[in-house]
Amino acid sequence: MIALGAILAVTGATIGLGLYGVRLARTTSDLFVASRAITPWWNAAAISGEYLSAASFLGIAGLQMKLGSVALWLPLGFTAGYLALLLFVAAPLRRFGAYTISDFAEARLGSPRLRVLAAWVVLGIAGFYLVPQLKGAGLTLGEVTGAPYWVGVVAVGAVVALNVAAGGMRGITYVQAFQYWTKTFAIALPACLLLIHLGGLPERAAMFGRELPRAPASGLVVELAEPQRVTFPAATDYAVNGTPARASEGEERTLPSGEIALPGRAVVPVADGIDAQRGEDWARPVDDSGPTSLVFVYSLLLATFLGTMGLPHILVRFYTNPDGPAARRTTVRVLGLLAMFYAFPVVYGALGRVLVPELYLTGATDSVVLRLPEAAWPGLGGELLGALVAAGAFAAFMSTASGLMVSVAGTISFDLWRRGAAPVDVRRRRFRLSALAGMLAPVVLALVARGLDISVLVGWAFALAASTFCPLLLLGIWWERLTARGAAAGLMAGAVAATGAIFAGLAIDDTHPTIDALLTQPAVISVPLSFAVMVLVSLRTGVGRPAADAELLALHAPEGLGLDEPVAGQRAPA
Amino acid sequence: MRRTLRDELAESTPHGGLYLRRLIRAQLSLSLVALVAFGGIVGALPLALLLLPGLEDVAVLGIPLPIVIIAWPPFLLFIAIAAIYARRAAALEESFRDLVEPPR
Repeated sequence: MIALGAILAVTGATIGLGLYGVRLARTTSDLFVASRAITPWWNAAAISGEYLSAASFLGIAGLQMKLGSVALWLPLGFTAGYLALLLFVAAPLRRFGAYTISDFAEARLGSPRLRVLAAWVVLGIAGFYLVPQLKGAGLTLGEVTGAPYWVGVVAVGAVVALNVAAGGMRGITYVQAFQYWTKTFAIALPACLLLIHLGGLPERAAMFGRELPRAPASGLVVELAEPQRVTFPAATDYAVNGTPARASEGEERTLPSGEIALPGRAVVPVADGIDAQRGEDWARPVDDSGPTSLVFVYSLLLATFLGTMGLPHILVRFYTNPDGPAARRTTVRVLGLLAMFYAFPVVYGALGRVLVPELYLTGATDSVVLRLPEAAWPGLGGELLGALVAAGAFAAFMSTASGLMVSVAGTISFDLWRRGAAPVDVRRRRFRLSALAGMLAPVVLALVARGLDISVLVGWAFALAASTFCPLLLLGIWWERLTARGAAAGLMAGAVAATGAIFAGLAIDDTHPTIDALLTQPAVISVPLSFAVMVLVSLRTGVGRPAADAELLALHAPEGLGLDEPVAGQRAPA
Repeated sequence: MRRTLRDELAESTPHGGLYLRRLIRAQLSLSLVALVAFGGIVGALPLALLLLPGLEDVAVLGIPLPIVIIAWPPFLLFIAIAAIYARRAAALEESFRDLVEPPR
């Protein structure tokens, strides 16, 4: 109940601040002119606040508990993405005045049709990214109130869609900055208190040594809501609803719903889809083969490094920087703020192995961050910290999902709906309808995708972004011979390769481990493919084109010379 | 009247284009140097950890070294590369500005 109150408080504060902020901005001065006065630190906190999603807050620790230390490459890649953004995109794009990728595509290459194609890719990436946010919401609300999974998914989907439609969360810098500090405080405080409370790391053998995860000395009782297929890594006595049973080593069984009891120190059976790992194997960040193979790690790093710049809700935020150098200074601070947040999820993933081993049995490792405080402190203290963590998780879904929904609604209403001039109130109505309609597909997908890990789902969004918008941005900014046809061909090749591999991976099971790894995380193939297609088609179609001097000038000429009139940016973001 | 470099840039003359492309190349080289510094270190990490299994037996504060290596220090490296890059890039722009508008 405390946790539910904390969640409602964070949600209410977000909606309230958002609506109040819009009113304030409208009555004082234009929203974006006002935003120009914001310092790089505020901007950086806002960017980080919008970026830290369910994948960062719940997913990293969950995947770490499930797969092992290979998950630690995720925060590394999520942060490194901003380094790529800084080195190649931040300053030129800010100067160009484009704050959506569709704007950039049309203004740089002069093709309205490319804009429409880019708009469809925006919807694809945003869809992949919204699903795990909603999954996180369903999971969290279920953990806190015992409500069924779909309740949280539908409730948060509705709240975010209505909020965006009502005009809240319109890139209000202060709200997003508030979300960053909420999330960082919510993940850091319990982690620090846990380490102090436990006097360091308990039971190193289960974490890093030769042990499998075991029940605590007092035994373990787990409520199964539905039957669960499990594997017993060791011969184990157990009881189902009071009836004793015994499983031999390596045996697979389907446990019925009800109360499963394990005696003290028993090796915990693992749900279908999880490998029981000894501590030393679990601790290894990279392996010769299997799900932690070198190919998978490099593909994941590439997707996150290059994908960040292509996420639809990220570039918009850079518009509130006054100029190119300020965009760079902001990005440097973002790296610092993200580093501070990402120091902590690893604590939950490791301690979860010892403190909440029942998640291996239920398969719900994504909820380790939510469960850990109450497992460590039964009683009021744990409940309060659990409420703090749940509130932080909700801040994560709300901010990221709202940012994505603003992009989705803007894309549908402006890029895909009938083009051409329309009165302001017509455009506003279209934006609202788009926000409501755009939420339907992600909600349905989230209800279907319950069994998939949050981090895996988010990995797909990054893979798609890295295979499409990353080549478009990098070549568009730095290579003047890029043509609209080349860009279109590359976008399609990258999108088809990435989504094709992902869906093939869902349909096909247990092929060669390397092929499995590539189907789960295809970036290492689809990104070079997209670059190659863009370059080759541009070279073939670009013969005799006039040089793109005006565009290059707008992208790269320093400020203050009277040369930096933006080319794009005629429309304010919705 | 002699045309200034700013006019040539604004009118996209071949001469102006030459200067502009020189700036773009300098910026791109700087970014690529930073990318190589980053990629060389972070890109080598997975392979190094795979090839040096002995690191697993070393513990820092009870945590195996491979986990310590990837969980915290690379973030400081990113910040350092980013800060140095941002200063250098601003300096390149400053010298281009001086070229277009020579300081009196």
